[in-house]
Amino acid sequence: MRKQIWSSIAVLGLAFTLVFALAGASLAAKEVTVRLSGWSSSPAEQKLVDDAIKSFEAKYPDIQVKYEPVVDTGQFPNKLKTMLASGTAPDVFYVDMSEAPGLMTRGLLSPLDKLMPSTKTKPEDFLSTLLEAFTYQGKIYGIPKDFNTLGLFYNKEMFDAAGVPYPTPDWTWEDLRAAAKKLTRDTDDPAKAQYGICLPIDAARWLPFLYQNGGAVLNAAGTKSLLDSEATVKALDFYTGFQLKEKTGVRNTDVGAGWGGDAFGKGKTAMVLEGGWLIPYLTQSFPNIKYGVVELPKGPKGRGNLYFTVAYAISGKSKNPEAAWKLIEHLTGAENQQKVLHSGFALPTRKALENDRYFQENPNIAAIFQGYAYARPFQYGVNSGRVLDELGKMLERVFLGKATPRESVSEAGKKIEELLK
Amino acid sequence: MRTLQSQEIAAKERPHTGQPQKERLQKERPRPGRRLTYTITVYALLVIIAAITLAPLAYTISGSFKTNAGVLEWPPRLIPKPPVTSNYAEVWNSSPLFPRWIVNSVFLALVHVAAELFFASLAGYAFARMKFPGRDLIFMIMLGTLMIPPPVTVVSKYIIVARLGWVNTYLGVIMPTLVTVFGVFLMTQFIRAIPKDLDEAATIDGCSRFGIYWRIVLPLSKPALSALAIFAFKDSWNEFMWSLTVLNSPELFTLPLGLNYFRGQFYTFWNLVLAGSMFNIAPILIVFIIFQRYFIKGIAMSGLKG
Amino acid sequence: MVKRPFRRQKVADALLGYLFISPVILVIGTFTFFSMIYAFYLSFTKFDMFSSPLWTGLQNYRLLLGNPDFKRAMLNTVYYAVGVVPTQTLIAIGLAVLLNQKARGIPFFRAAYFVPTITSTVAASFIFMWLFLKQGVINHTLSLLHLPADNSWLENPLTAMPVLMLSAIWGTAPHFMVIFLAALQDIPQTVYEAVEIDGANTWQSFRHVTLPLLRPAIFLVAVLGTIGTFQVFDQMYIMTRGGPLDSTTSVVFLIWRTAFQDFNMGYASAMAVVLFAIIYALTILQRRTIDTNIQF
Repeated sequence: MRKQIWSSIAVLGLAFTLVFALAGASLAAKEVTVRLSGWSSSPAEQKLVDDAIKSFEAKYPDIQVKYEPVVDTGQFPNKLKTMLASGTAPDVFYVDMSEAPGLMTRGLLSPLDKLMPSTKTKPEDFLSTLLEAFTYQGKIYGIPKDFNTLGLFYNKEMFDAAGVPYPTPDWTWEDLRAAAKKLTRDTDDPAKAQYGICLPIDAARWLPFLYQNGGAVLNAAGTKSLLDSEATVKALDFYTGFQLKEKTGVRNTDVGAGWGGDAFGKGKTAMVLEGGWLIPYLTQSFPNIKYGVVELPKGPKGRGNLYFTVAYAISGKSKNPEAAWKLIEHLTGAENQQKVLHSGFALPTRKALENDRYFQENPNIAAIFQGYAYARPFQYGVNSGRVLDELGKMLERVFLGKATPRESVSEAGKKIEELLK
Repeated sequence: MRTLQSQEIAAKERPHTGQPQKERLQKERPRPGRRLTYTITVYALLVIIAAITLAPLAYTISGSFKTNAGVLEWPPRLIPKPPVTSNYAEVWNSSPLFPRWIVNSVFLALVHVAAELFFASLAGYAFARMKFPGRDLIFMIMLGTLMIPPPVTVVSKYIIVARLGWVNTYLGVIMPTLVTVFGVFLMTQFIRAIPKDLDEAATIDGCSRFGIYWRIVLPLSKPALSALAIFAFKDSWNEFMWSLTVLNSPELFTLPLGLNYFRGQFYTFWNLVLAGSMFNIAPILIVFIIFQRYFIKGIAMSGLKG
Repeated sequence: MVKRPFRRQKVADALLGYLFISPVILVIGTFTFFSMIYAFYLSFTKFDMFSSPLWTGLQNYRLLLGNPDFKRAMLNTVYYAVGVVPTQTLIAIGLAVLLNQKARGIPFFRAAYFVPTITSTVAASFIFMWLFLKQGVINHTLSLLHLPADNSWLENPLTAMPVLMLSAIWGTAPHFMVIFLAALQDIPQTVYEAVEIDGANTWQSFRHVTLPLLRPAIFLVAVLGTIGTFQVFDQMYIMTRGGPLDSTTSVVFLIWRTAFQDFNMGYASAMAVVLFAIIYALTILQRRTIDTNIQF
């Protein structure tokens, strides 16, 4: 009987070990590896990072980079937080400017100041407003990898066909509205329909209109909501009016497109507000489209735009911060940023590249760069994500006819006020 | 808690077209007109319902053979024109991850099936045949945990898994469902229904406990084991929520997670998304066609499986 | 055979028994039993996983009472359950009765009907998303019938939930059909013969014999279905992310979002405990209806 117990223990133990061993076999091998994670909004963007990693590994053969991109941009901040919470975060990862305050204040990132001298990198090398988004209590927690603002993309062939002159940086809201009207046709036939402009349910496309109308989301200290104002109601009414009143605007989802840029590429709309990321996407997916980019139109209260930036940061728990820093330095180095710029994907964060020849040769990317002069940061305090959710719902309520712009603004104002408490 | 008696299981194993119905039909034969209407009605209903049931799948298969323009064309057509097979190749080559997800899913499903069969039948044998203090109490408590639906404990389970350092590992995916109460319950009930004289005879022949379990009980439990294996395979193959919570790295993803990730990349390319889905549907469909009767018997064996 | 002391053998046998059940006890004990107790504990704390849990007593439950999102999610879930359970039960009975007829090729049809059940929720969700696109098959079919056909089903707060319900019914009705099929085959043929002699027609024998005899199965399926619908998550996550305008946010989806997006583990656990209480009550209901001997 005793023998039986022992042999049974042995069999059970063996079974358990087998399960563990099989499951464990697929765990990462323990080498000098730096794990890098971020999102990739397109295969074009992923290729840029892949290439940069290849050249990094050639330069530092002793460091192996494991790149783990997340496709779903919207889910990345949550995934990152779960990874940080469970201690499985990669060494280096993207931090969007809107997420930075939450991570820095919780002490989840490594300060970079001590690592920077090892590669002779100085804070002054970077555009200062961008770096500020990743600075907390005098310490730098992230190096902006690139940035973007929004431009007005227009389809030249559609403008020619409708006999509308191309947009200029001096366009006003009225010009935009009038052009959209002339560019809309065949809306009865889903196969041939063409709309003036694509304006999706997305706060990041609507906010420039708010700023152009002199409105604001929060006060300067980020402690109070300034949303509930006449300026907001009017900006919201203008934005949603294209589709709801004049039938000259359309949402990407209405024309079977994944996002505004996709609707533009598929020839469903003549204009769209997007950033530099649309340029390589068009080149790759819709190489035949003829288009131009200009600065956003001026609103009743002048110019307004948003800037978006993403930094590379090091996890507070990284075991190889030195190797991780070398990777960041390489990825944000002038050489790599120039490559990113020349792909037309995003704008460089290094001052050294401000006057790159590429801007003269490419008026499209230059138009997007010009927006930076007056753009506001896409960052709304520690609760940025939730604030933007509420702005999105505010748009959605109006688009779906569930509320008038005024009702929707007042509801969003209340919700945001609650989030700030 | 519902307990199945052996005769109940035996009753449910009876083939679906039993003797009694034949008698009934013979009685109806004297009225040929009514019989014909009846047959026509039954077949019409059977065919119409089959069409409704299978239409979504038929459109999916058709969509997976369409071009990207074709899959969104208006009006949509059932027969692709022209049919293309390139979607499958494109999905397969879209990234080195796609084949990997399939391997991961197969691997996890096999581990789950093996563990469930072995541990559930072993415990089932102990509960059904062995005597130890607290046996019935443990069994009752274990059955009681059936009332705890997995989503209720997803948060606390995640924290436990994180404390064990199993986040983003297969251990974290596998361990919480390594063996299920449903499996133990099914095996216990089944083994109870096996005549005792068989293993008593073996005891007299000097067979050890494990020997009886392995050489006598296990072979006799084949019907229950096959039903359990199929359920375990299906559950593991189709599982989504828990692996979504535990896994972060794309190369560890299972196929359902991978498909969701894949859709994030190709969300407007419905032809590719549908072709990708076929990689998830086809294997389980083949398993089902081969082991159909175990699937259906398994559900009938216990109303517990929801 | 050597005769061993009786007691020793018994003790050894008992130890062996414990050993045989030990893997099950370890797994279920840790990940279900302890996990539930831990969830109870967490529901009384404020915990974001970055710092230690902070005991806050009933605070989470108090917040929950006044939380419009939770109320909304509860109502959505009840709506979903009410939309799915009766329909899927009726369809399942209908399918089972049909398959219980004597006709050639029944096994083929049974297999065909069963196919949706083995399709994963992920794949089924993709399929339904695609079918219900604005330019999708459903709208096309509607336009052939001269019905309004320009709805973006999943982007409309009125129609998003019904699409999710349909996809759930499609996937689960065949599963429950099998339970009814088994129940139908348990009905002794003699009962039918008896009523036939009494002159009952097909409908009457269904109404007065089949249906009453199916009652335990109907109860079982209805309760299992309700418990299942209260756990719905995958569809919402894949098809709508809880939108548009929170119209498809289910309780489990809200729990998941609160835990893994807002990192409010304590609050999420309190929601989970409330959900557990509801499902527990439903399970008790199931148990009572099963244990009660229903007389005809």
